[in-house]
Amino acid sequence: MTTNSRKGIISFVTDCAGWAMAGGTGFKIYLLALFGIIGMGAYAYYLQFQQGLIITGMSNIVSWGLYISNFTFFVGVAAAAVMLILPAYVFKDKDLHEVVIIGECVAVGALVMCLTFITVDMGGPLKVWHMIPGIGLFNWPSSILTWDVLVLNGYLALNALVPLYILYCNYNKKEPVGWRYKPFVFLSILWAISIHMTTAFLYQGLPARPFWNNPLLGPRFLASAFAAGPAIIMIVLIIIKQNTSYPVSVNIFQKLKRIIVISAIINLIMLFSEVFKEFYNFTHHSLSAQYLFFGLDGHNSLVPWIWTAIGLNILGTVLFAVDPSKCNPRYLMVAAISLFTGIWIEKGFGLIIPGFVPSPMGEVVDYTPSGPEIMITLGVLALGVLVMTLLIKPAIVILLEYKKSKAT
Amino acid sequence: MKDNKIDKSDPPENGRTRRSFLKGLSIAAAAGSAGLVTGGCTGEVASEEMGLKWEEYFKKNYRLMSQKEKDETVERLVKLAKIRVGVDIQMSNQAPINNVLYGYAFNISRCKGYMDCVEACVQENNLDRKSKTQYIRLFEMEPGKLDPSTGDGKYHHEVPVEDKFYMGVQCFHCENAPCIKACPTKATWREPDGIVVVDYDWCIGCRYCLAACPYWGRRFNWGEPQVPAEEINLKQHYLGNRMRMKGVMEKCTFCVQRTRQGKLPACANACPTGSRIFGNLLDPDSEIRFVLKTKKVFRFKEELGTDPKFWYFMD
Amino acid sequence: MKKLSCYSGSFWLGLGATLLTAQLAMASGQSLLDKIKGATEPVDNTKIESAYTLTAKTVQAEETYQGGTFRVLARKDKITRYRCSVCHTDKKVLVKNGALYTHSDIAINHGKGQNKLECIQCHDEKNRDVLSDAAGTKIDFDHSYKLCGQCHFRQKRDWLGGAHGKRETYWAGERVIRNCTSCHNPHSPAFKTKMPETYSLPLDD
Repeated sequence: MTTNSRKGIISFVTDCAGWAMAGGTGFKIYLLALFGIIGMGAYAYYLQFQQGLIITGMSNIVSWGLYISNFTFFVGVAAAAVMLILPAYVFKDKDLHEVVIIGECVAVGALVMCLTFITVDMGGPLKVWHMIPGIGLFNWPSSILTWDVLVLNGYLALNALVPLYILYCNYNKKEPVGWRYKPFVFLSILWAISIHMTTAFLYQGLPARPFWNNPLLGPRFLASAFAAGPAIIMIVLIIIKQNTSYPVSVNIFQKLKRIIVISAIINLIMLFSEVFKEFYNFTHHSLSAQYLFFGLDGHNSLVPWIWTAIGLNILGTVLFAVDPSKCNPRYLMVAAISLFTGIWIEKGFGLIIPGFVPSPMGEVVDYTPSGPEIMITLGVLALGVLVMTLLIKPAIVILLEYKKSKAT
Repeated sequence: MKDNKIDKSDPPENGRTRRSFLKGLSIAAAAGSAGLVTGGCTGEVASEEMGLKWEEYFKKNYRLMSQKEKDETVERLVKLAKIRVGVDIQMSNQAPINNVLYGYAFNISRCKGYMDCVEACVQENNLDRKSKTQYIRLFEMEPGKLDPSTGDGKYHHEVPVEDKFYMGVQCFHCENAPCIKACPTKATWREPDGIVVVDYDWCIGCRYCLAACPYWGRRFNWGEPQVPAEEINLKQHYLGNRMRMKGVMEKCTFCVQRTRQGKLPACANACPTGSRIFGNLLDPDSEIRFVLKTKKVFRFKEELGTDPKFWYFMD
Repeated sequence: MKKLSCYSGSFWLGLGATLLTAQLAMASGQSLLDKIKGATEPVDNTKIESAYTLTAKTVQAEETYQGGTFRVLARKDKITRYRCSVCHTDKKVLVKNGALYTHSDIAINHGKGQNKLECIQCHDEKNRDVLSDAAGTKIDFDHSYKLCGQCHFRQKRDWLGGAHGKRETYWAGERVIRNCTSCHNPHSPAFKTKMPETYSLPLDD
């Protein structure tokens, strides 16, 4: 309004929507597939809403399953955006500054998944207002879950608003004003660490579950997140590099790779430390670990998963550490996918399920997610990916246009 | 067509006590959704049900209700039970008795594993028959061990077996209960008489309390709980054995509907061996105090600092 | 960077302080055992308003409990052919009634080996309407605890205090407890083996 060239919010939104949906047949099919999966998930959720959580594989023994496992993992992915923000803004790293917005879009997508996973896991999603202070009762600061609600929503706001502001400025061919958003950037750095620590504290603070009640849990969450998060950002960047004209330099991959390798190694060291503690002197608190790694009383549904995860973890770490290809995108893709999958299994249901087995009363049961449960999970994942896609696409267009306008 | 129904389904005594701004909204929405759900065949009853449900949906946490509001919600729940199941329940919201703190003791040398307590609990507390929910679990224990988690909780043979002993677990009503601390909405709390209760209507079903309980004292309603209408225990308490719904947590309440009337909990009452001792911890002359004073007692997982009000002892 | 560490420091300090205060607030409360120990004032349980409708017949116990009185469930109204002296007379018994009159249905399984009890060790030899202990003191059927307690003195002590046996229906109100014979068959006092009332769901398979 102050200048003639400035375009309003409405045109920003409509333009973004247009750019988000624009694309070739391949992209259309991709979107359609995502919508299809979301639709299936929504139908499965309708069934769950009607009949209750009984249609999932969960029970009074294993009372959290696939939903909370994925929630836990994707909190890490969301937090990992900080590994781009921190160097970009604090150490003034030029390369990572180029892609920091993309990292934040990934974080928003991951947060959407987290919040959706929490919602689908609830027995009474319509009663969520009971948590809103004022009209409901918010058990803060006593319940760590309330802390988690606060930090997750706060982080979502930070990660949505800062890039939105920057993109809006760039859309209007302007440089964003530093003091308007930088404080929030620094805040989001601390916030990123706090979302993952708080999520770890959810589990870590329960003496009832010795498998979780372990001071290493929080730090390990961070280490694994800072490996898995940049790995998924790397996957996204490779896809962008191969499908758009957005320049992603080799330096960026180089730096991401370094971050991933260091975090993955720290993660493996901590994993080893935990395994040592559990098995050097076996106590009845180690039964969960035994169930996870070797099976207990003939129940061993997690055993193949965890060893696959550890294998993928080591494979990914080694591939990143050696890298004879000098950042060949295909090579990196393989490494990133194996590391990401490894950590997804290990920190997802490899962490949540054994916390419940054996139960405090010594009972051992296997947990197998049901069909609808898997469909809902896939639907939520697809929703997150959709959000990421629809955020990244216009962001790239705006950033490219802005670069062009600056160059001229 | 709908308008006629709205007028009928709005009995004056129903509207008088409610906040008027909500009323119009609620009845209209109720009628609308009732029409959607039932297709209008039993519209009148359905819209009354929806109206009651709607008001139930917006009620407060039980602890914040005034006595009047408590009475009103009880009245609504009684009506809803009549509409849905066709039974006339008597629901109480009796407050705790002054100077009473309930405690429980379990004699592990007397229990024979008959499970009368488990069955009595199921009947008394309207526990879901479909998923066979049980608040009490009895473990057949090998001599040489005292941790119930090492016992067999699935036995089904003639009891008692020689050289085995039996140990019951249920909610221990901890003074420092981890479940209360965990609940994000304060839907579970400890009453002044020491009973840890759940406001079923306030629970959002996140199951964090279940994860936090070191004694596996909580049960979740994974589906809609089912009790045959003729088996429903009609004497109910708001915080106790009233009908639960899917997606909420429930647990042993020391049979709040009985104990606040001076009765023993159903489990203690049903026990044929006298292994279950229940009473007022603040009464120096009570049986439970006698056990604490004269017997060597222990509590399960005492190292966790939860301060359960449930002791085990031997003759 | 300095600013950053400053922010982060104050954040974690804030979180720590909040949690610590919460913990202290909880810890400062009286512990449960202190609370119990501190409660020394007798409580008048009969004041507790409750629908006190015990239908079972009770008698005042001829013992004291914590310095006060209590009641036990009566026994005599449960014995089908009480009074015993109706049959136990000098009259001759017809052979056809012999099986019935000699209590052949009663198998004594009380005491092991040499200590196995005989009828007259508990029943009075002369007056069949009462029991009598080793010293010959006559004991009413309603107060059999006096008789049982001469051997089972530990159980009797626990029973008097409330660690053995149980209260009838109410924890509040006047103390009414079960008699020894309410739960134990005096002729065969051990509990029988039987199938449990129900079962807990196998959680797997």
